[in-house]
Amino acid sequence: MKHLRNVIVAAAVCLLCFTANVNAQFAATGTTTLSLTVASEAALHIDSPTTNLTTATTVFDNYTGTTNFTYKIRSTKTGGSGTITAALTTPFGSGGPVLPSGSTDLQFTCVVSSPGIGCTSAQKVNIVDAGTVATFATDAHSARAGNSGSVLWTLVNDPAYETGTHTATVTFTVSAP
Amino acid sequence: MRLALAILGAAVCHADTATTTQAVTVEIVAAGKLSVQVALPLAEQTSPFGNFVGTLPVNYRMRTSAVGGSGSITLQAAGEFSPTGGPTLAGSALRYTCGGANLGTACAGTQVVSQAAQTPVVQVPSGACTGGGAPCSAADPASSQLQFVLENDPRFSTGVYTVRLVLTTSSL
Repeated sequence: MKHLRNVIVAAAVCLLCFTANVNAQFAATGTTTLSLTVASEAALHIDSPTTNLTTATTVFDNYTGTTNFTYKIRSTKTGGSGTITAALTTPFGSGGPVLPSGSTDLQFTCVVSSPGIGCTSAQKVNIVDAGTVATFATDAHSARAGNSGSVLWTLVNDPAYETGTHTATVTFTVSAP
Repeated sequence: MRLALAILGAAVCHADTATTTQAVTVEIVAAGKLSVQVALPLAEQTSPFGNFVGTLPVNYRMRTSAVGGSGSITLQAAGEFSPTGGPTLAGSALRYTCGGANLGTACAGTQVVSQAAQTPVVQVPSGACTGGGAPCSAADPASSQLQFVLENDPRFSTGVYTVRLVLTTSSL
């Protein structure tokens, strides 16, 4: 009998567990508590999907070009951080620039609006090394529409390159863990 | 003597029967009541930076006066979002649309949730009643839905934010 009573009591408690999100009794007024969980988030839009590197002279001056982007960031309020990086995900094809591990032939500098902290020195990008474009502190917030940034590329004009158009893919990644 | 006693006994057994009537009246007045779930979590629609959305079913019973009557359900926030650092009602962050009222008319367009004033949910005409079929509604209780939308602004700090919403019926 005692066991049966305990089972009945346990069942009643379990029923109460499921009432948290059911309707309240009918009355002249009703109240609901609306809630939301705001998490850290990051987004990036490359404003110039194709960046053409050009040289102004015919005496082997470096190639240069600019990639513009817009970012949105919300880093964690306590202990948060964030980064934007650029990595060579598809190297130049045959006859074009060769960028092995450690190569500094392809580099960039940064201009990033606050709250981003742009790179303070030239970043090398090759088949192994990715460059850091920007970092973010804890509780960093972009504007509602996002904030701007630019990467200024420099590529060594090596006589070994064959003439023609050579294409590589650089992937930008933003994160706010 | 014996005969007299018998007659006396017969007189006691036959009682008189009387009937009377009384009028019973009841005044049926306009009335209204509703029920909503006690908690509504909003979820991010897409990631990253998708809007926060959620749907609130509203169940209600209402009776409005046959002549010149009306009824309504309205919504008002009982305070600002808490804690600070997130969305604010003052910034028109929380909006809703109404749908599917099977008694009366759901609100039109997008409403901005306010702490200062009530905003419409359902409007009920005169002579309306809930349940039992014509001339009342077929459904009992009647129901409507509120679709809430809150823009996911990067300026919000991370955390959990809540706001209390109060729905009120009125019927004449």
